[in-house]
Amino acid sequence: MPSDDPASFEWISDCDTLYVRGSWTTTALSQAQRGLAGLLIASSRLTVDGRDLTGLDTAGALLLCRLLQGLRGEGKQVRVSGLDERRAELLRLVEAKLVDVIPDFAPVGKPGALQRLGKAAWETGAQTYATLSFAGMTFATLLGSLRNPVRFRWRNLLGVIENDGVRAMPVLGMLSFLLGVVIAYQSGIQLRLYGGNLYVVDLVTITVLRELGPLMTAIVVAGRSGSAYTAQIGTMQVTEEVDALRSIGVSPMELLVLPKVLGLILSLPLLTMFSNLLAVFGGMVMAAGMLDVSFEAFVRRIPEAASINSLLSGLGKAPVFAMVIAAVGCYQGFQVQGTAESVGRRTTTSVVQAIVLVIVVDAAFSVAYSALGI
Amino acid sequence: MSAAADHLVELAGIRTCFGRSCIHEDLDLAVRHGEILALVGASGSGKSVLLREMLLLQRPSAGTVRLFGEVVDGRDEPAANRLRRRIGIMFQQGALFSSLTVIENIAVPLKEQTDLPASTIDDIARLKLLLSGLASDAANKYPSQLSGGMLKRAALARALAMDPDLLVLDEPGTGLDPVGADDLDELILDLHESLGLTVVMTSHDLDTLWRVSDRIAFLGEKHILASGTIAELSRAEHPQLRAFFQGPRGRAVRGGSWNRG
Repeated sequence: MPSDDPASFEWISDCDTLYVRGSWTTTALSQAQRGLAGLLIASSRLTVDGRDLTGLDTAGALLLCRLLQGLRGEGKQVRVSGLDERRAELLRLVEAKLVDVIPDFAPVGKPGALQRLGKAAWETGAQTYATLSFAGMTFATLLGSLRNPVRFRWRNLLGVIENDGVRAMPVLGMLSFLLGVVIAYQSGIQLRLYGGNLYVVDLVTITVLRELGPLMTAIVVAGRSGSAYTAQIGTMQVTEEVDALRSIGVSPMELLVLPKVLGLILSLPLLTMFSNLLAVFGGMVMAAGMLDVSFEAFVRRIPEAASINSLLSGLGKAPVFAMVIAAVGCYQGFQVQGTAESVGRRTTTSVVQAIVLVIVVDAAFSVAYSALGI
Repeated sequence: MSAAADHLVELAGIRTCFGRSCIHEDLDLAVRHGEILALVGASGSGKSVLLREMLLLQRPSAGTVRLFGEVVDGRDEPAANRLRRRIGIMFQQGALFSSLTVIENIAVPLKEQTDLPASTIDDIARLKLLLSGLASDAANKYPSQLSGGMLKRAALARALAMDPDLLVLDEPGTGLDPVGADDLDELILDLHESLGLTVVMTSHDLDTLWRVSDRIAFLGEKHILASGTIAELSRAEHPQLRAFFQGPRGRAVRGGSWNRG
């Protein structure tokens, strides 16, 4: 049984002997380890005496070996004595193992600034290339499956529509309703000052239909489904299920990606419409409560406030958002490499990238619409 | 030293129940200092559960677990931790942390439980790596980049990190090819001899049992049916033991019986 009296040592210069004492075991070693760093020995011949040791394990033996190596490295003659047979054997074993240490054993040093910059640049380039390749591959597979619709995984498609479309309705509905309430409230305060209460209809419907409805839906779906896609495909990647699919002759593209892309392309416009309805309804409730605009007056005003173009220009963005979310989610999933940590990192990246891209695409749409005069 | 002090682990009157079904009833088992004890039994006989109870990872429904002569109360976490530190475990699937390299995996227990400086910890971890028979270039690899045999060795290195008194191996040879399994057996014997380790292992592999174990405890009918050397057990008359040791596989192994020098 190892006793836990800390490891220690004492240098007695009269008899040129270094006595090691106490328990030289992993948990009791730290004090001696620090002390040895400051040890100065002048003699060129010495004995290391271990008769007072109460314990020795491999970590202690290692420290002892390092000590001996250091002393011998300075050209001193060192003799070890007083170890019982088992401990001497352990010391020999550790010494023998240390001979195997080869130079390239040292850990790789921290890379310099230039190396890091180069690596980051290279990785960004490779990432962009890979994303584009993935988009191209998705599109090619999509075209291929359009020619051969029987092979398409309709069941998976329905699953995606249910999980990512229908089940998103409660949370999306609530958020949209609150969004409508907030817009009506904020604009209502200003409008009331000018007595233009009825214009709340214009503000609410146009902002919701053109911008906030589609954007809100895309962000909710990116957070809800994009992350799920990455985690699902990523975990399958870790457990080699993706490779198993390939080996059976099923293209992971066809089975995992296409139903998701197509499912979202179908669901997102519908969800957007749902979001529009609830946001406008939220605005109506607020307008009735705060601005004395009755439901009837609100609804009658809508056709004058917003044209069908407002609605369509909003809904038109939804399929593009859907493609971005599904593609980013799936792509990041396939990028997972082997570890649990990688799944987590890729899932984060997937959500962040999807939301950023959705907003960038939205801005591009605004520019295009204004150029086209829609 | 009394007889009890010579036992690293003592299980007495263990009962383990999951809901209404009990897998252990009134089970007694002792692990002697310096032996290699193999825990054997059919699948589902509760070997792994018994190991988990030995490691204080799970509490039995009744009975006492005595580790290194101390009775362990499952609620006393600090005491349990102090005892766990003296046990090294190699899990069946390795259970290496996938986000750390091999060398970092081995260093985890050292970093958590000692206040040695990082360079010394690194030195110790590398020694463990070599002791468990891995080449030094495996140090900076991630578990996902290792073969099955290397994974087992890395897991063994981590189990040895704190220089435990007791090494617990759950199915060490599973998933290895015969050569790899032989090498691992050899390594276990080596470490047992050079580090004076007490080893408790579970195994189905008759080759390993013949070659490595000093003593076998056969788990069946909810308790230890028999314990003794493999030669004794393979002569036993109990139908379960006969089926295990004298089935076609058992006979084949015995035909070319291993000699432990």
